[in-house]
Amino acid sequence: MKCIMSDWNIEKKLGLFALVLGFIAIFAGSPFHSAEVKVNTKDIALSTVNDKIDVTELADYIIKGNADYRLIDLRDEEEFKIYFIPTAMNIPITQLAAAPLMRNEKIILYADDDVAAAQGWFILKSEGYNGVYLLKGGLNEWKDKVLFPKLASDAAPEEKIEFEKMCEVSKFFGGVPQTDASETVKQEVKLPSLDLPATTNLSTQGKKKKREGC
Amino acid sequence: MMNAPFFKFGLFGDEISLVIAFLIGIGFGFSLERGGFGSAKILAAQFYLTNMRVFKVMFTAIITAMLGIYYLSVFGWVDLSLVYSTDTFLIPQIVGGLILGIGFVVGGYCPGTSVVSFATGRIDGLVFLLGVTGGIFIFGEVFPFIKDFFYSTPMGKVSIPEFFNLSYGLVVFIVVVIAVAGFAGAEWVEKWMANKKGEN
Amino acid sequence: MSKLFGFLFHADDHEHEHTINPKPYSNPYLVGIGLGLVLLAAFVIMGRGLGASGALSTVVAVGVEKIAPEHAAGNEFYQGYITEDGKSPFKDWLVFEVIGVLVGGFMSGAFAGRIKKSIEKGPRVTNKMRLVYAFIGGGLMGFGAKLARGCTSGQALTGGALLNLGSWAFMLMVFAGAYAFAYFMRRQWT
Repeated sequence: MKCIMSDWNIEKKLGLFALVLGFIAIFAGSPFHSAEVKVNTKDIALSTVNDKIDVTELADYIIKGNADYRLIDLRDEEEFKIYFIPTAMNIPITQLAAAPLMRNEKIILYADDDVAAAQGWFILKSEGYNGVYLLKGGLNEWKDKVLFPKLASDAAPEEKIEFEKMCEVSKFFGGVPQTDASETVKQEVKLPSLDLPATTNLSTQGKKKKREGC
Repeated sequence: MMNAPFFKFGLFGDEISLVIAFLIGIGFGFSLERGGFGSAKILAAQFYLTNMRVFKVMFTAIITAMLGIYYLSVFGWVDLSLVYSTDTFLIPQIVGGLILGIGFVVGGYCPGTSVVSFATGRIDGLVFLLGVTGGIFIFGEVFPFIKDFFYSTPMGKVSIPEFFNLSYGLVVFIVVVIAVAGFAGAEWVEKWMANKKGEN
Repeated sequence: MSKLFGFLFHADDHEHEHTINPKPYSNPYLVGIGLGLVLLAAFVIMGRGLGASGALSTVVAVGVEKIAPEHAAGNEFYQGYITEDGKSPFKDWLVFEVIGVLVGGFMSGAFAGRIKKSIEKGPRVTNKMRLVYAFIGGGLMGFGAKLARGCTSGQALTGGALLNLGSWAFMLMVFAGAYAFAYFMRRQWT
């Protein structure tokens, strides 16, 4: 066998090599393994220390126009349409694993409360994302602290100052500060209506339009 | 284990990616010139069957990169789903390809090779580049009118294995077979054309 | 005006492949492997492929914006190439890559003694006609490349290696179109 091939020029050898590799490929399986992941539980446990973001922090980022994060709403489309935190993008949690998110971004997840967000957090951490954060308290907390901040009638002066600040923030987002907190009646407060983002397409939204075509 | 493509895993930032772009570009340009693709005569000869370099270089490159990325992915060293692939818009791409093919044999270059041509002193390469710029400008100007056509027949990010419902590995094999058969055919055609020329 | 073009036309005619001083071109299969490895490196390092026409599109878009900003603002195509967040549009991967192509091509030519002011053409056409064809051909290429979302580097090479459906359809049409039209251009090349 070697005698036959020894007087083949390099091109024939390369051609044969390519054919062999191609042939093996038929049996080598699918190149897509993304559904399976190796999870380093120790790393994941360690990263739970610093990965929560307060609603007030987030409000601050949005007001300042800080654009170095990607805010993701994990609820489904219908709920998103009713109200969403400005600058958020909608990726229902069932589609999160397949979402084409960049691994070098800061990603902030929220849902109605902490539970769904935590599940989303785990999915992304397992896939190797590093900068994943949870909005502490979720949308409920956002509504409570940012949109409709309350001031108890017997509040201390520092609390009053805090409240003043939050009033400004609340108005920025179209919320309604609740000054009369003694009224424990659950007023049906209207959520501010927002224009849906022009596109919810992940590839065109966001601060940088990363063109990867040619 | 899987942390490639490196950029997509955040191993370096945008600034470095530009340096990498430059270095990869050097490799690209160097290879093209080595292959003789700075010369319109050689490029055009492909379409007169006298010099089949274009086909040989192009398809060797394709199967090298294809086999490379396939095996790296199968071993789990690269996440293939993170490698960007353009969306398919079938009809515009077919029509664009036709126009490009005609432009190729009229102008003698394609955008990448014309840059190499200009880099090695060819005036026609430079003029070709200016033409490309002009063509893009015309496209930009008529874009509002052809927008619907431009976006027609969208098929999203679809690969040949997906479309024909074949396994990825099988398609890899078929492509290699086509390429190697093509190489054998190309060698034969070149010899035949050379003989014909010799007879004249 | 004609004096300017006169300078361009008075370059050496290239009717024969380089044979004497410059080194002959390398084995096409080896070159192909080299090119394939460069492409593979782009896949592995950047998660993207090569390209060329995109960089020129950036140049065109920036040029139009400088000359007629309102016009550029209203055009979706140009907008795609002009980022709004203060970053220079030239800080684009493809632009840097194409500059690299220029340098790399020059380096390879320099090492092999193949740098020469010249005009490539066949024996039966004048320098002037060759340049006219080059310009027209370039124009067609530019237009076709934008329609197809790429040129031979981006679509055929990159998309080809990734088994992209549209890219393969494109590639077949490029060869078909070129072969079909070659008859009409035979006086330029043969």
